[in-house]
Amino acid sequence: MAKRKRRNIGALIAVKNHWIQKYLPFTLGSLSLVWQALFFYVPLLCVIVLSFTGDTPYAAFQGFFSAVYVRIIVRSLGMAFLTASMCLMIGYPFAYFLVFHTHRLRNLLLFLVMLPFWTNFLLHICAWFFVLDRQGLLSYLLQKLGILSGPLMILNTYWAIIIMMVYFYLPFMILPLYTALDRFDQRLLEASLDLGATWWQTVTRVLLPLTMPGIRVGFLLVCIPAFGEFAIPEFMGGDRTMFVGSVIKHLILGAESEVAGSAFTLISSLVLVIVIGMLYLIIGRLVPSRYEKE
Amino acid sequence: MKSIHIKNVSKSLGGEAVLEKLNLVIPAGKFFVLLGPSGCGKTTLLRLIGGFESVDDGEILLGDQDITTMPINERKIDTVFQNYALFPHLSVFDNVAYSQHLKKIPQDVIAEKVMKILATVGLERHASKGIDQLSGGQQQRVALARAIINEPEVLLLDEPLAALDVKLREKMLIELIELQESLKTTFLYVTHDQFEALTVADQMAIMNYDGQIEQIGTPKEIYEFPKSAFVAQFVGTTNMIKGKLTEREGASVIDVASLGSFFVDVPQDKKYLLAQHADVLLSIRPEKIEISKTPVEGFSNMLQGSVKSIVYYGRSTQYNVVVSSSLTLQVFEQNEEHFPQEVIDYDDIVYLYWQKENVVILER
Repeated sequence: MAKRKRRNIGALIAVKNHWIQKYLPFTLGSLSLVWQALFFYVPLLCVIVLSFTGDTPYAAFQGFFSAVYVRIIVRSLGMAFLTASMCLMIGYPFAYFLVFHTHRLRNLLLFLVMLPFWTNFLLHICAWFFVLDRQGLLSYLLQKLGILSGPLMILNTYWAIIIMMVYFYLPFMILPLYTALDRFDQRLLEASLDLGATWWQTVTRVLLPLTMPGIRVGFLLVCIPAFGEFAIPEFMGGDRTMFVGSVIKHLILGAESEVAGSAFTLISSLVLVIVIGMLYLIIGRLVPSRYEKE
Repeated sequence: MKSIHIKNVSKSLGGEAVLEKLNLVIPAGKFFVLLGPSGCGKTTLLRLIGGFESVDDGEILLGDQDITTMPINERKIDTVFQNYALFPHLSVFDNVAYSQHLKKIPQDVIAEKVMKILATVGLERHASKGIDQLSGGQQQRVALARAIINEPEVLLLDEPLAALDVKLREKMLIELIELQESLKTTFLYVTHDQFEALTVADQMAIMNYDGQIEQIGTPKEIYEFPKSAFVAQFVGTTNMIKGKLTEREGASVIDVASLGSFFVDVPQDKKYLLAQHADVLLSIRPEKIEISKTPVEGFSNMLQGSVKSIVYYGRSTQYNVVVSSSLTLQVFEQNEEHFPQEVIDYDDIVYLYWQKENVVILER
């Protein structure tokens, strides 16, 4: 009796499985596809179409092949790279410490890394104003310690932007590095040292190659949004330095020229795609591809 | 090929003393096995010698050189790790060549050397494969090749065969012995498996749960003449009988409560126990006992009992024989014939015999 019952249930599951397997992934998947289409592909298409609706099809683009705009794009790229590089330099040792030298504290520290996401972005900006202002905390401390003779004049400069950028994007770097290092077998470091490698040789020949996938993800996660970042340069940099984000905002909202704005967005996006694509390939060459285990 | 001297080494981990004032000499050019139960501190000792951990107190000498504080990468000691710790991003060739690439050696010299070592361990055809394409035994060989290419003075092996199946393990043990004989490097092999230890060791040391060395000797000395109850029980199987050592009518005997007296041979170094009429333990290996359903002449000692259980192992059979309400003896019998004359079955009354020189008297 019991046997027959079990068989019936089995058959039921088989039928259900059949039905679920066939339609559920499609149903769930199509929802996100619709979402992405509505709010990403359609707007993207609009931007592309809009770009070519000037007096002549290419009229909107012509103005942007001038030194001013090229410089803005290059400057934005530079800022993105600098931010990502600094995040990497700060984030890697931190993630390493987190994975290999903390035990009970690890979850708390990870939580602290994530904590800034829980508070409003504008609050962060305000807080940094207090820190970086010429009468602010940092200025006061540096003067007290005798490192600076006058007040710190960093607010509204390029470096204020970089500081805030690094601060804001650091978690995006730390988390993928944490994952990569967590999967890294620490005994490999011992094996390398045992075979006579110096600490530096061990880092460059074992640690970095094996955590390169994490470095790549972190770098791109920071680089891509940092390139188009608009709020941080706007608040921290005053109006002295223009970046891609501020130009787009200025063109579309300020000058109310959607066509020019769209064209510039398209150009900068293309530049970003090309540069990031190249970067991906370059870092990819550093990843030990043949024996890569994902 | 150098010796290692451990002098008064102490080490605590997480506030708990693992090794205390440990002294041990690992002779040069020997296959030395450190055998002990899991968690006894043998791996800690290995890590101290390798330089992965630093000693709290004491000295470690390699030959006559003090290496107590020498950094790990300067020690001429290489390790075969328990889980191999092979570099997953490098090929078999590059794993083995790793230590050579660190030095300024021309590529073709490296290639020649690596291929020679790979040939020694029988992996020359797999040189360009990735680590994850190899079987466990092959990975084990890569780990071995990677360690010996550096020509270390001492090779440390940390339970290297633990992950392999029995057949492969037996094969690797023989290969390790042959490798050690051809290299003449000092091998320090750490294991909790007494079978592995007895098979490969020139010399072995037995470590107890407290991280102390109980006995050092050749496998035969350790197995046949254990110096303590711990060694007798940890290495191989044995029957332990409690008794009182005494002399009667010019012969040494042991009185065992409710079983009677048994003749024993008291070696020179145990004579003092005889003088004290001390309480002792009698250790009899199961294979030293003969079993029969009919009385047999020519043995110094005899016991009667009934068969409680029989375990058939193929080449031998184990009989568990109840000889008194508190004592059951294990007996091993070789299965020499397809059709033995005498078949022993459950609940049979049997006679157990042993020669007095085949037992060991241990202090209690």
